[in-house]
Amino acid sequence: MQILRCVALSAVLALLPGMAFSQGKAAPKDAKVYFITPYDGQRVRGGFLVRFGLRNMGVTHAGDDYQNAGHHHLLVDVNDPIDPKEPIPQDKSHLHFGAGQTETFLELPPGTHTLQLVLGDAKHYPFDPPVVSDKITVRVRQPVSARSK
Amino acid sequence: MGEIRNFRSGNTNEPPPHGGMPRRLAAIIVGDIASYSRLMQADEEGTHVRVKRIERDLIEPSIVEHHGNLVKTTGDGFIAIFDSPVEAVRCSIVIQQNLVGRNASIPRDSRIEYRIGVNLGDVIVEPDDIYGDGVNIATRIEGIAEPGQVYISGAIYEQIKHKVVCGYESLGDRKVKNITDPVRIYRVLPDADAVGRTRGRRENTLIFLLGITLLVIATGVLWYLLAQPEGRVGEQAATPTASPAASPIPQPSPREAATQTPQPSPSLASAPASPTPAPSQPTAAPVREPEMIAVRGGSFAMGSNDDPTERPVHQVTVKPFSIGKYPVTVQEWNECAAAKACGFTATGKDDAPITNVSWTDAQQYVAFLVQTTKKPYRLPSEAEWEHAARGGTSTKYWWGDKSQQGMAGCKDCGDAVAEQPAKVGSFKPNPFGLYDMGGAVDQWVEDCWHKSYQGAPNDGSAWSGGDCSSHVLRSGSWKNDLRYVRPSNRDGYDTNVRYPTHGFRVALSP
Repeated sequence: MQILRCVALSAVLALLPGMAFSQGKAAPKDAKVYFITPYDGQRVRGGFLVRFGLRNMGVTHAGDDYQNAGHHHLLVDVNDPIDPKEPIPQDKSHLHFGAGQTETFLELPPGTHTLQLVLGDAKHYPFDPPVVSDKITVRVRQPVSARSK
Repeated sequence: MGEIRNFRSGNTNEPPPHGGMPRRLAAIIVGDIASYSRLMQADEEGTHVRVKRIERDLIEPSIVEHHGNLVKTTGDGFIAIFDSPVEAVRCSIVIQQNLVGRNASIPRDSRIEYRIGVNLGDVIVEPDDIYGDGVNIATRIEGIAEPGQVYISGAIYEQIKHKVVCGYESLGDRKVKNITDPVRIYRVLPDADAVGRTRGRRENTLIFLLGITLLVIATGVLWYLLAQPEGRVGEQAATPTASPAASPIPQPSPREAATQTPQPSPSLASAPASPTPAPSQPTAAPVREPEMIAVRGGSFAMGSNDDPTERPVHQVTVKPFSIGKYPVTVQEWNECAAAKACGFTATGKDDAPITNVSWTDAQQYVAFLVQTTKKPYRLPSEAEWEHAARGGTSTKYWWGDKSQQGMAGCKDCGDAVAEQPAKVGSFKPNPFGLYDMGGAVDQWVEDCWHKSYQGAPNDGSAWSGGDCSSHVLRSGSWKNDLRYVRPSNRDGYDTNVRYPTHGFRVALSP
């Protein structure tokens, strides 16, 4: 019992200093993540290819703790700010590319959508400072078949 | 290759037709696929398509992004030149790290791995090729490189050593074929402990804090030990390392105690399939099997019209099976970890669901159960999961169509957002007596990810085939909102990637 308490106490103590800092790993100041395609304001019909650009850092697997390397997350229609102390959420509007993918084929319902890229570290935390792309807008038009009705 | 013209030794006027060779200093990248002949022999067309795709999707864009020019691609490799050695090395690292990701889900012997050599040299640039000593040396360096590695020459190293934050391992002077002078070669280590500028104040601060932490822990432990009565100190000293092993054995876990108390699950065929290890039997190390609930087979409408991934709604018939009453817990997982059959030891409360597991991790646990119990444990199929989650209902949630307190653990289910998922069984069981089927933790199932049910099997079996680099997650987690709690909700996630809200439960064929 005493030993358990010891362990618990040590664990708490070990965690305390860590809590004071944001979780993410340091990113180079000149790191830049951006969309190669589509461009801001682009109109697309149906599915479209989104290609992720990254400068001055490398793309790696989620889980691989390499210096200056991370993996992409694509945020679709997300308005909440990125919380540097939390892992990047995983749901239908936060798409993860933890296998090191640098592009994806996206199918969105017709309408205006925003896209944003966020680089995550091995544990899916944003970097410090966050490596985040500009938020771009795409307009998805009605599929041809629907319009011709 | 019209772009090459940009590089012709400064004269932007029309280049001399021949003679007056356009020479320039350039960083040259030579890349080459390791074991290309073997790959081609195994699958000629497939390899060719994959190589072309890598060139189109990765190599060419990476070169352009780093302001380089692709000189040519050969069957199994490529040559590119850069104005800047820094950009050349960065480009090489980007290519290699991307390939790591691409190769992850591919069996080892069919991976496409490049060796990359980088050299700085004065070269003759022609529209579709480059010539010179510098190119030959780059080629030789590439030949020495290990697959997946970037080797650079001393000349490149001198240019970049303080500019690209990487580790560099000197491999000394190497004699290379047909080159008179030995060439100094370095291996680039993208994951090395920071050698460059990021190791500054920040890192020192962290080291300092770590030091303080260790000091505080040491003081704490010392204080605890000294504060004990003499006899107890001796007792503790005798078993200093036994603490992890000691906890599971003596008293029944809170989880087990808890599971006895709730009302027995409804009359439905809910016989726990596995007797919990009886304390009277002193077998060597009884494995804690997850508590199972038998589920009757039957037919149900799988899917919904709430999300494109859940369409079309289709009738599925599942055979009888058993499924874990709760998601697999930290305690259960750690027995697998202790047996070295699972990849990591989880921290957290014993009765919390195991999280941060990939699909592959979940399969390791299942394999461990199969091996130790000799029972055909497995992950549930997606159809089995949904059948079990619906618990015979066809409403939006298993309890009805409206949000209701205390039914599931999710972000807006009524309780405050927690850092950790609640312990298993914190919410009401569904009509089949199953806990946490919706909310709590995301749960891996056996099926590969398909973005809709178009072409799905209707016999309740797992849907393999298609894009198996992702598998299906069910249930949603405590971090998701109520929409994700719906029994028909589904999502896909990379097979080999861990995420802090992902767990699983096991199934058993009768």
